[in-house]
Amino acid sequence: MTQPQPLLEVEHLKKFFPIRGGVFGKKMGEVKAVDDVTFSIRKGETLGIVGESGCGKSTTGRAILRLEEPTSGKVRFEGRELTALKGEEMRKMRREMQMVFQDPFASLNPRKTAGEIIAEPLKVHGIGDARKRKEQMKELLQVVGLDSFHAGRYPHQFSGGQRQRIGIARALAVRPKLIVADEPVSALDVSIQSQVLNLMEDLQERFDLTYLFIAHDLSVVRHISDRVGVMYLGRMVELTDRDRLYENPLHPYTQALLSAVPVPDPEPEVRRERIILSGDVPSPSHPPKGCAFHTRCPHVMDICRDVRPEFKDHGDGHFAACHLLDP
Amino acid sequence: MVRPLLEISRFKMYFHTDKGVVKAVDDVDLTVNEGEVVGLVGESGCGKSVTSLSVMGLVPRPPGRVEGGSIRLADRELTHLKGREWRKIRGNVVSMIFQEPMTSLNPVFTIGDQIVEAIRQHRKLDKKAARRLAADSLQEVGISRKGILEEYPHQLSGGMRQRVMIAMAMVCRPKLLIADEPTTALDVTIQAQILDLMRRLNRETGTAILMITHDLGVVAEMCDRVVVMYAGQVVEEADVNTLFNQPRHPYTQGLLQSIPRLGQRAERLYSIPGNVPNPKQMPTGCRFAPRCEYAMNICRTEEPGLFAIGDGQNSRCWLHVDKKEEADRDPTTTTS
Ligand SMILES: Nc1ncnc2c1ncn2[C@@H]1O[C@H](COP(=O)(O)OP(=O)(O)OP(=O)(O)O)[C@@H](O)[C@H]1O
Ligand SMILES: Nc1ncnc2c1ncn2[C@@H]1O[C@H](COP(=O)(O)OP(=O)(O)OP(=O)(O)O)[C@@H](O)[C@H]1O
Ligand SMILES: [Mg+2]
Ligand SMILES: [Mg+2]
Repeated sequence: MTQPQPLLEVEHLKKFFPIRGGVFGKKMGEVKAVDDVTFSIRKGETLGIVGESGCGKSTTGRAILRLEEPTSGKVRFEGRELTALKGEEMRKMRREMQMVFQDPFASLNPRKTAGEIIAEPLKVHGIGDARKRKEQMKELLQVVGLDSFHAGRYPHQFSGGQRQRIGIARALAVRPKLIVADEPVSALDVSIQSQVLNLMEDLQERFDLTYLFIAHDLSVVRHISDRVGVMYLGRMVELTDRDRLYENPLHPYTQALLSAVPVPDPEPEVRRERIILSGDVPSPSHPPKGCAFHTRCPHVMDICRDVRPEFKDHGDGHFAACHLLDP
Repeated sequence: MVRPLLEISRFKMYFHTDKGVVKAVDDVDLTVNEGEVVGLVGESGCGKSVTSLSVMGLVPRPPGRVEGGSIRLADRELTHLKGREWRKIRGNVVSMIFQEPMTSLNPVFTIGDQIVEAIRQHRKLDKKAARRLAADSLQEVGISRKGILEEYPHQLSGGMRQRVMIAMAMVCRPKLLIADEPTTALDVTIQAQILDLMRRLNRETGTAILMITHDLGVVAEMCDRVVVMYAGQVVEEADVNTLFNQPRHPYTQGLLQSIPRLGQRAERLYSIPGNVPNPKQMPTGCRFAPRCEYAMNICRTEEPGLFAIGDGQNSRCWLHVDKKEEADRDPTTTTS
């Protein structure tokens, strides 16, 4: 099988936020929100990213689209280096890459109608005239399962699931190739969640979309992704095919994470061995030395406290960063 | 011997707003027995929090108003209680923990002061003894670090704050602990710690737990019995195994079918068609009928009661009523 060229390549991406304090706003330290992350996404693929709250998932997504300027590292889209692009070039590039946000309540302008919200990216990118844009907007409403009479309504007149559909329609308007979906279903009830997930899968097939799908719900990510990356404290600790990750997790954090997911079945056929980690997640402004997970790892060794493990391929594209895996 | 601790019956709590009446809780029956862990599930806005806040006497009135029914806790009627009487119940007989612990911890007081304050409301202890008890209660939830009593809430992580909340809620050994989405804001590895802790406290102290959550995984792992709400009403109730294996109400069935399962990958997820009804314009008849694939004529005209269908399972659905009886009751039913 030939490997198709990746649509998106992320190399050694870092995003540090300064912590300022004192009277003169002096830099007191930094939050290492994303600390050396590397991965790629093939065309038509869905890459899921999971990890606990604050581990840097959203910042990774935003840094890729340069909604947040990366501190260092490379991001290539169809072979083109994004971090080098200047204003106008980057603006054009944004047509190819859109974002769907976590909170369907906060991410839509409450003073604009659904129609205006969806047509806005078309306007920004100067696509079509007013009449053409209106036509396209109505088509988009239909694509996401809403009616054209919804166009005149305001966000507060929609339910959570419907609002998320509007967010998706807006992202689709400019026919992007890549959609970064940042927790698109986390704020929704299970029954609405499944509507939106089904819709995203249909659209992917229809428009040949590539997704970077960020979530903290491991079952949702397993459902929608081809490959899954696990983040911990700003770092990618494991990345592999969906099924391989769930069946044979290599990193102790992934193992703990998977074992901690409550199963919606009071009598599971196989009672899983639960790994309950002790301790709390350290702060990203003071990440532990060496392996970031060593303070909570049940298998910690001396080397883990000093040396940061390399994120490398342990066979067939199963990446992990853990000293236990070294011979 | 199973003894009921909390008995909510035919309870109604409406909100009277400028834009109309919101029937947030409309005819709810719910029982929690001593020492039992009961799960309360249902879609956002179906009335789970208002139900539990009513048990705590924490619903703002107005706009809230009790429109009928009763709430009995440890053989005491709560619906008529006044401000001062509530204070004797809250924290003592029943305690509550919330999704966001920051909303119930006071940022300007130390952890120690807050727990001591909670203790001294109900126990006649001097400051020193109360502080000792506060430290013990934190130890119980796995926080033993030195100086914790002197720390402020913002110095703790989310998981630690939630544990402090649990320690504070449990320190006077209430008979009932209400937990409203206690782990929703936490990551799964920390959630596992908290659930483990709650299970242990339930076993060791016999405190009953009413667990409100939308995570059916949490319900399956924690609860003895489950109550499902839809649009302000209880639509199904059963022990946990029965509910997951033989859900009888079409809404419960749809809910269970919608969840992606970690162990298996369905090609396509099931989703319940349509949307939750607007609480200001409830459909006539069964509130789920507009979204129900089994809806019959009677469902659109007459509201079903909560029918007992055996083994402690109840379901608010006309499907369980004998066909003949149904035809008698409903003149609009056409036989074909
Ligand atoms: N603008 C900012 N300034 C300072 N710190 C920030 C900023 N944005 C994010 N952070 C910090 O960076 C870290 C990573 O945040 P991020 O939002 O990427 O996490 P996340 O994985 O998306 O979490 P969640 O699941 O809660 O959305 C957090 O510690 C956060 O507090
Ligand atoms: N103070 C209030 N005034 C008016 N309406 C209210 C008030 N508090 C709650 N409601 C309404 O009562 C209904 C039930 O709300 P409740 O908070 O109990 O839902 P819930 O089941 O806990 O939902 P969630 O899962 O989102 O927490 C909702 O329609 C809500 O908008
Ligand atoms: Mg985020
Ligand atoms: Mg609630």
